Amino acid sequence: MMTRRGFLGAAAASAAVAAAASSTGCARATLSAGLPGKSAVAILHAASYSVDLVDCLARGAALCGLNARGKRVLLKPNLVEFDARSVIHTQAEILAAAVVLFERLGASEILIGEGPGHRRDAWFLAEEAGYRAAISHFDSRFVDLNRDEVTRVAPFAGTPGIYLARTALEADLVVSIARMKTHHWAGATLSMKNLFGVVPGAVYGWPKNHLHQAGIGPCVAELNRIFPRRFAIVDGIVGMEGNGPIQGRARPCGVLVMGSDLAAVDATCCRIMDIDPGKIEYLQLASGQGHVHEPSIEQRGESIAQVRTRFELIPEFQHLRLG
Amino acid sequence: MSKCVGSRPAILRATQNPDGGWGYFPGKPSWLEPTAYAMLALAEERDTAVDRGWSLLRSWQRPDGAFRPCTTVDEAHWSTSLVVTLACTTGVIDETFQSGLGWLLSSAGVEGRPFFRLVHWLRPSIVEFDPSLSGWPWEVGASSWVEPTAHALMALRCAAKSGRRPDLAPRISLTERMLLDRRCRDGGWNFGNRRVLGADLPSYPETTALALMALNGHAAVGWGAALDGVDRAWHNTRSPLARAWLSSCLLMYRGMRPEAADRDEPAANDLLVTAIEGIRWDQILAA
Repeated sequence: MMTRRGFLGAAAASAAVAAAASSTGCARATLSAGLPGKSAVAILHAASYSVDLVDCLARGAALCGLNARGKRVLLKPNLVEFDARSVIHTQAEILAAAVVLFERLGASEILIGEGPGHRRDAWFLAEEAGYRAAISHFDSRFVDLNRDEVTRVAPFAGTPGIYLARTALEADLVVSIARMKTHHWAGATLSMKNLFGVVPGAVYGWPKNHLHQAGIGPCVAELNRIFPRRFAIVDGIVGMEGNGPIQGRARPCGVLVMGSDLAAVDATCCRIMDIDPGKIEYLQLASGQGHVHEPSIEQRGESIAQVRTRFELIPEFQHLRLG
Repeated sequence: MSKCVGSRPAILRATQNPDGGWGYFPGKPSWLEPTAYAMLALAEERDTAVDRGWSLLRSWQRPDGAFRPCTTVDEAHWSTSLVVTLACTTGVIDETFQSGLGWLLSSAGVEGRPFFRLVHWLRPSIVEFDPSLSGWPWEVGASSWVEPTAHALMALRCAAKSGRRPDLAPRISLTERMLLDRRCRDGGWNFGNRRVLGADLPSYPETTALALMALNGHAAVGWGAALDGVDRAWHNTRSPLARAWLSSCLLMYRGMRPEAADRDEPAANDLLVTAIEGIRWDQILAA
């Protein structure tokens, strides 16, 4: 029987092959998305945004068995707001690296979509965040999901239905690219809650108060159900702690977390942040859609213990601590 | 007046959809919000495009008096406020106007309801505000936010100015108090509140400009400093949407928009911005 250490060694070897293949534009999925009954989550060390992020993401994609060939991909960063003095948004370097990654993986189309949480000019926020400068053909890729055409999905979280951005619904693969942050209402905001950005402000207003009224936890879990073809990249190179998702402080963590099971990715991120994922409402509700319990998640790459970084929590959320 | 404003009517005429409305972007399906702003921008010229716009808007009115935001979505929408303002501006004081205004007056944020007031009484520091002062929500059944409240207040002022509804004064006064109560420590307005979980919230240029426009010279504002702040914000931001609202605020109170030295052409690709910048807010809202 293969030990965990032995398996990780084999996985790393396969990942190296996949990474090399991806750099030549012929990447193939080399590993399964997880052992039977388990979900694979890749944890990659990345000390800063100046390391080779495309290589990091390619290794993570290979570790998770990601296959994007021929798919219309929507990259969904977290651009809920932008402040040059803070770390609210998904870092431009990560988003740019993801575009290159999916080009190498053979995606047929790569769009970038976001519906910021505040009533701001989405194109302006994208420019301020450095996206336009960092990403080739940004203008032809970007969709303001707040003002997109909409399609009704029913039912939704105990309500008759919800209108969602059509670009997101029509994508073959939605890639949630979030920053690792604490959240003053939900405890943590990671790849699953990042999907709030597909809810159109033009219908529901800003900051998507509809979802807060219906309950953040049920709505996050429901969005997770609506988008079954998805992948997560969580930017924890520098996260946010304290009064997130907007007013918190930068927290260097030096890690990228990736996987196809968003619940498993977010649960892993919580453990890295020293938060008990079992105490996060939306992860409790999503446990039937993905794996939250640690024995059901197959960690690939680094171990949680190697990268664990205690994120400060506001007083109201001290009970969320692990242990 | 900035020279670039002059080209906006031409852009709006050229981008009107066959159904009579405007999308947020050229060639995209019509939504009420850009349609109402485009019609307000063209109203002064008594453009035939406005008549075609009214045909579409009337088809979007629901039995309850509210308007839907677009063909696809059949839900009462906050932008009913814009239709009321538009009706007053274009002199369409008919059943469409009366029922739209009626729906607006029946709508309010839920924070004033007993359950929410009890929750606030138990934990007042979560979100600090006076729950007896309700404004308008983005959607039915939600809490009040600054932007829909500002738009509703502007609509009520226009309706009152039309001479048909002297009974609106108490609601206007209540809404003014609500907006003043939500003013941030830095003198502007956030999107919803001024203080959450013990932390002061920052103001934003869009919401600050809208709140000041809705407050319409209210004595409690301190206008010199407020408008100087708006002028500074206009020079400090590159956001087209923020600039559109900030310049509209300056047009309303100082009679002219700032000159845009760094951008001579309108943001033609964003019809919302183009339309807002083309509206004579000084004529529509001035007391």
